[in-house]
Amino acid sequence: MASISIPASARDQATRGLLGWLATVDHKKIGLLYMVMAFVFFVMSGVLALFIRVQLAVPNNTVLDPQTYNQIFTMHGTGMIFLFTIPMLVGGFGNYFVPLMIGARDVAFPRLNAFSFWITLGGGLVMSLAFVLGTRSDASWVAYVPYSTRQFSPTMGMDIWLIGLILAGIGSTLGAVNFLVTVYTMRAPGMTAWRIPMFVWAMVTTAGMVLLATPVLTAALIMLTTDRNFGTQFFNQNNARLWQHMFWFYSHPAVYIMILPAMGIISEVLPVFSRKPLFGLKAVVISTVLIGLLGFTTWVHHMFVSGVDPTIERFFMFTTMVIAVPTGVKMFNWIFTMWGGSLSFKTPLLMCFGFLATFVIGGITGVIQGAIPVDQYLHNSYWVVAHFHYVLFGGSVFGIFAGLYYWVPKMVGRMLDDRLGKIHFWLMLIGFNLTFFPMHALGLLGMPRRIATYDAGRGWETGNLIATIGAFMIAISVLVFIFNCLKLRTAPKAGNDPWEGNTLEWMTSSPPPEYNFRHIPVVESDRPLFDDRMRGLDH
Amino acid sequence: MLPPATHDAQLIYDLYNLILVFAVITFVLVEALLIYSAIKFRRRNSDEMPKQVHGSRTLELLWTIVPALVVAVIFGFTVDTMSRMTARGSLSNPVTHVHAVGDREAWRRVENAQPVDLAIRVTGAQWVWLYAYPGGDNVTASETLIVPANKNIRLDMETADVIHAWWMPELGPMLYVNPGEVSHVWFNAPAGNYIGQCNVYCGVGHARMLSKVQVLPEAEYDEWYAQQAAANSAVVEPGNAERGMQAFMNGACIACHSIEGTKAQGKVAPRPLTNFASYPTIAQVDGLTNNAENVAKWLKDPQALKPGTAMPNLNLKAQEIADLAAYLETLK
Repeated sequence: MASISIPASARDQATRGLLGWLATVDHKKIGLLYMVMAFVFFVMSGVLALFIRVQLAVPNNTVLDPQTYNQIFTMHGTGMIFLFTIPMLVGGFGNYFVPLMIGARDVAFPRLNAFSFWITLGGGLVMSLAFVLGTRSDASWVAYVPYSTRQFSPTMGMDIWLIGLILAGIGSTLGAVNFLVTVYTMRAPGMTAWRIPMFVWAMVTTAGMVLLATPVLTAALIMLTTDRNFGTQFFNQNNARLWQHMFWFYSHPAVYIMILPAMGIISEVLPVFSRKPLFGLKAVVISTVLIGLLGFTTWVHHMFVSGVDPTIERFFMFTTMVIAVPTGVKMFNWIFTMWGGSLSFKTPLLMCFGFLATFVIGGITGVIQGAIPVDQYLHNSYWVVAHFHYVLFGGSVFGIFAGLYYWVPKMVGRMLDDRLGKIHFWLMLIGFNLTFFPMHALGLLGMPRRIATYDAGRGWETGNLIATIGAFMIAISVLVFIFNCLKLRTAPKAGNDPWEGNTLEWMTSSPPPEYNFRHIPVVESDRPLFDDRMRGLDH
Repeated sequence: MLPPATHDAQLIYDLYNLILVFAVITFVLVEALLIYSAIKFRRRNSDEMPKQVHGSRTLELLWTIVPALVVAVIFGFTVDTMSRMTARGSLSNPVTHVHAVGDREAWRRVENAQPVDLAIRVTGAQWVWLYAYPGGDNVTASETLIVPANKNIRLDMETADVIHAWWMPELGPMLYVNPGEVSHVWFNAPAGNYIGQCNVYCGVGHARMLSKVQVLPEAEYDEWYAQQAAANSAVVEPGNAERGMQAFMNGACIACHSIEGTKAQGKVAPRPLTNFASYPTIAQVDGLTNNAENVAKWLKDPQALKPGTAMPNLNLKAQEIADLAAYLETLK
């Protein structure tokens, strides 16, 4: 590969110590801060999930009183979505790897980037500290009005929850601006559209969605805050559905905000561990962008039973089903990336298999409940809980762990233990399916979500008990991962390119220097490092 | 799915099973390809370099068009099912169980197609469903709705506070009950006992907001109705503590009240009822001395004695009140 020599930046010497982390504007340090923050919130929200599962393990359980239970599932959902999945994928992986993969030295607006992180963390801390201190919302993560209005949720916890989300939303929106500008203006010479790595394509689409969707949620949150505190009447008694429209106009695209970057990770890992290029790169790019666009046209499918004008329902049913097509295209493109390849079963690839094998169930159940009459049965039941966990755990979380096992060596410079990784994978895969598969049956048997307890005799006992056992298996698998991370200090060194990578981040050292590349590379294909390897040039 | 008991529930059930066939085929295909790839294409030799295939237009067109067709077929079947569900269907279809909010056209069709035999006013309140029967006898019920079999029933549903949802899986589609709106559900079910519960999160008592529908043969229903109409005015027999306890534990009371050592663990009421009989007053209302007469007054209409209290008027019968009062007096 040819390269252009650029003098190393003036910020050559990284600031060290605590101040170095607090004052950093380096996209890699900010990315790591996002990841650590997100992982802490993942553990916190996961522990809350264990409380939920303990309470529901047997009928009429009294481990948690209903009030506490409601606060716990509210914080579990809020934490997992806004403080873990989105910051981990967009803020964490996006920040760390987008500039590296496009051959840039940083993002376009490094200070704005730091601001995005700290305001997101601020939002998370406001919410979670208030939660720990007992000032909690119990309105669930969807916070439907009028339940979330002053009249029915008079406590401060609801206001704190709103403020926390407003802050996190601002961080998210600003981050999106940064990604779009970075990718548009700062790509290495030669990186034309079809040479942009798939993960970067996914991040661009995601950033576009964040930019268009998040302000709508932020507006709704501010409107509800002023309704509660200053007597405005945006969501008065006759306007209950307005909140639902604004909330889902953000929160349905949010599902794609949480899954597209994970799909981007899968699209990077599969080719490397199959020693083949991504099958149908253009088709995968187009499907990604299409999912991003169609993702904005389906939100009313969350409202099929809330009394929406019947004439518009069919449109939303149609778009909901159609979105399965580009998703299916990606699924088959991934499978055929592996087809005829040389599959190296290290942990990152196993996590990809976990993604493919479980996400497909979430995709299929999405079509099933997209059919309006079927949704009139399944809406708000445990089936839905199963469905979105197959998407967001089976999809996003497996994707996140694929990314972590793949990229931690780059970020830390040392290898995660592969044997522990495999134990983690199998425990998590089995635990995940034990937890969430029975929930399909529970929903079909009439179990609604968000109930603090239930009576015996409605056929729900076995499914709930199995789910609780599975949840603890997931918890153990995460402990294995944490143990694996703790062992990093003494783990073998990774070198620049431990996996025979394809993309530019593998060209530089592990961890990369603050300026990323001594020479900005010139890109000649969609797999620059693969080409170098073929020419006998190792990095 | 639970066994369908009405025409529309049957349509939902059939549609679900039909889509499930496509779903299972897709699932098996994908998982089979994954497992096959994992076995067949694993790396056997660290130096091997597979053929570099960048794509195949034919294959990619295939897996765009075939899923698109499958989705089109599913969409078609779904629209067809919707057209056969009565609210959206033609006049010739049997009226069984439909729902419509703000869909005047649908309601007009339904009303014209087949007269409603019984229209019941339903109020969802935190955390109980209350039913008011027509007929001028002030017959009311809470939690358990009793209706005659094989009759066209219409529920006119309102909420007293937040959003609730009417979900009787065996009787057909679910529907939200929104503030400021009236939601309608029609059904026509055979005799039997059906159970469902509120399906929009509505607060601490959400899990206990059950909706039970008891469909009785017409003669039994008439008998029940006559009894209720009569019972409204008279206490048939003295309060029975045992029966009172049954009513308490199986009713809406436990959503808010707690009694140590029982399944009543609600945390809404400020004081547990464990030692209710030894409290000097009822609901800490000055002058409302805790005696049988006042307990009965309180249960009949809490709002009249303590405006704004969280406890709703549960439309209890005189007999139920007598039984509950007898039970509460045993909690020393």
